[in-house]
Amino acid sequence: MNETVHGEVTAVAAATGSNDPEVALAAVAALRGLVEVLEALNVEHARAEGWSWEAIATRLGVTKQAVHKKYVGRRFRLGRSR
Amino acid sequence: MIDRLTDHARRVLDLAEEEASRFRHRYVGPEHVLLGVLREGASGAAELLRARGMELEAARSGLGRLAEQGVVASPALSDAELLSMLGIDLDAVRQRTQRTFGSQAVAQATREATRARRRGVGRVAWTPLCGPPFLAKRVVGLAHRQAGAFGSVGIGPELLLLGVLDDISEPWPRCMSNRWRRRLLAYVDLPADYRGAARPLLEAFGVDRAELRDALVAQVGEVPR
Repeated sequence: MNETVHGEVTAVAAATGSNDPEVALAAVAALRGLVEVLEALNVEHARAEGWSWEAIATRLGVTKQAVHKKYVGRRFRLGRSR
Repeated sequence: MIDRLTDHARRVLDLAEEEASRFRHRYVGPEHVLLGVLREGASGAAELLRARGMELEAARSGLGRLAEQGVVASPALSDAELLSMLGIDLDAVRQRTQRTFGSQAVAQATREATRARRRGVGRVAWTPLCGPPFLAKRVVGLAHRQAGAFGSVGIGPELLLLGVLDDISEPWPRCMSNRWRRRLLAYVDLPADYRGAARPLLEAFGVDRAELRDALVAQVGEVPR
């Protein structure tokens, strides 16, 4: 993130008002997109490290059924070709 | 599919993405590929477009007018900007994630997260980790098909432009309008009936598509295979 973009953003944010739902909701959506991918990658990594669903769920603060339902059967090729 | 693109064509697609962010668009469409061809500039395709009055600057202002008319999206904040408002440095997150897990795993996780799944848990329209949605996939696919027809090994800017023209003339299959796609289009501020804006852009310059296509075909036929 460079200075100019930062400057622009503050300008836009100031222009729209930092409480503009249009901007705020879009920011939340972007954040959720980020979270989903990070969660998937880290759950997969934990499984590869031999973590149980229960341990993963405890750390994530959800039930083990929830994590299992969401991530069972997924396989990412972690760490290959970067 | 992407691996048959020549260096010039890859550069065209990179520039298309740059043009999209220049317009503060949250997607890359065929209209940006057109601008990419013009900005790359060295190809016969760019030559043909310029000969028909489409200089880069003129084409940019043409697309700007289309944005004002609401044919394409109007300027919006990028994901990086939105996240920086929350104090998150997207570039840093992306670099760190790719270093930790590898870019292939990140790409896979991205596909999983944005794919329609049976139970629909944890599904998002898009994730900021992988750049803007590339809505000109069919352009590349059609360029690929033409490469087969011409028996050429590489896909250069000429074939990409041919792909843009075919993308305009080929009817869209019904499956291209599903719920997931409509949601993605809405997410990047596009109307649900968006089919790429290369057509209105070319029409704004009075380009005869059939004639341009013939000229391109003649040119591709001359390129050594």
